[in-house]
Amino acid sequence: MIPSFAILQVEAPHFHMPRIWLPLFLLWIPVILVSPLILIVMFGLCMAGRISPWRAIAVLWSILCGLSGIHVHVSTHDSKVLVRIL
Amino acid sequence: MNENRRQILEMLAAGKITADEAEHLLAALEPDTTATAETFTGRITGSDPSAESTVKTRAKYLRVLVEANEKGEPTTVNVRVPMQLLRAGVRLASLIPAQAHEQLDATLSRHGIPLTLSQIKPENLEELIDHLEDLTVDVDAKEEKAKVRVFCE
Repeated sequence: MIPSFAILQVEAPHFHMPRIWLPLFLLWIPVILVSPLILIVMFGLCMAGRISPWRAIAVLWSILCGLSGIHVHVSTHDSKVLVRIL
Repeated sequence: MNENRRQILEMLAAGKITADEAEHLLAALEPDTTATAETFTGRITGSDPSAESTVKTRAKYLRVLVEANEKGEPTTVNVRVPMQLLRAGVRLASLIPAQAHEQLDATLSRHGIPLTLSQIKPENLEELIDHLEDLTVDVDAKEEKAKVRVFCE
C-alpha cells in the first residue's frame, strides 16, 4: 500500500513542534498529473543506463509501497524526534 | 496438487515447454505457497501430541532498539523498518549496470565488505531476506550502559 500519511514530531530544548500529520495522499494528485513526464525521463535514464525500464518501475514502486510502516523514534532526556509513515 | 502446478507439469509432459521454462513457471507459483503460510499463525498438532510443530509466520518488520545512558542521560532509539522495504532495497541492487559491478565490488572489499554484486540474483533475494528473519542481535554493554537489540517481528 502506498503511504498515505506521515507523522512528524520534533522536540528540542529551544524548539517544539507539535505532532503533525502530513497527508501524503494529496501528493499523489500532482504526481499523477506529471506522471507522463516522469515516465519519459525514467525511460530515458533507463535506456542510458541499459536497464530494463519495467524492472526499474517495479523496483521503485515496491520501494514506494515499502515505505508505509516505517517508524523512527529517537528520544534523549530533552529532545525527541518521531517519524512515522502510514 | 495445485491446479496450476498440474497444468505446468502436463505442458512439460506434452513437450509444449522445456524443463527450464517449467522450472521458471513453478518458481513463479512459489509466492502463493508462502502466502498461505503467512496467513496461518499458531501450532499444528498431529495425531501424536508430543510431535507438535510450530509454523513460522513471516516477519514483517526489522526492529532496532537502542537504550543508552550517556553521562546519566537516557537515550532511546526505536526504529522499525518494513521487510518489504528491505526486499525492495535488495532488488535495487539488481538494477546496478553490469559495468559498475567490478568497481563496486572492489570498493566494497576495500572497505571490508567482501560482496560480489553480480552474484546477487532475484532468486537469491528471497532466501537472503528469509535468513534475515532469523536474525537476532543482542548487545548488552554494561560498562557503557547501553543495550542494543536487532530482531525481526
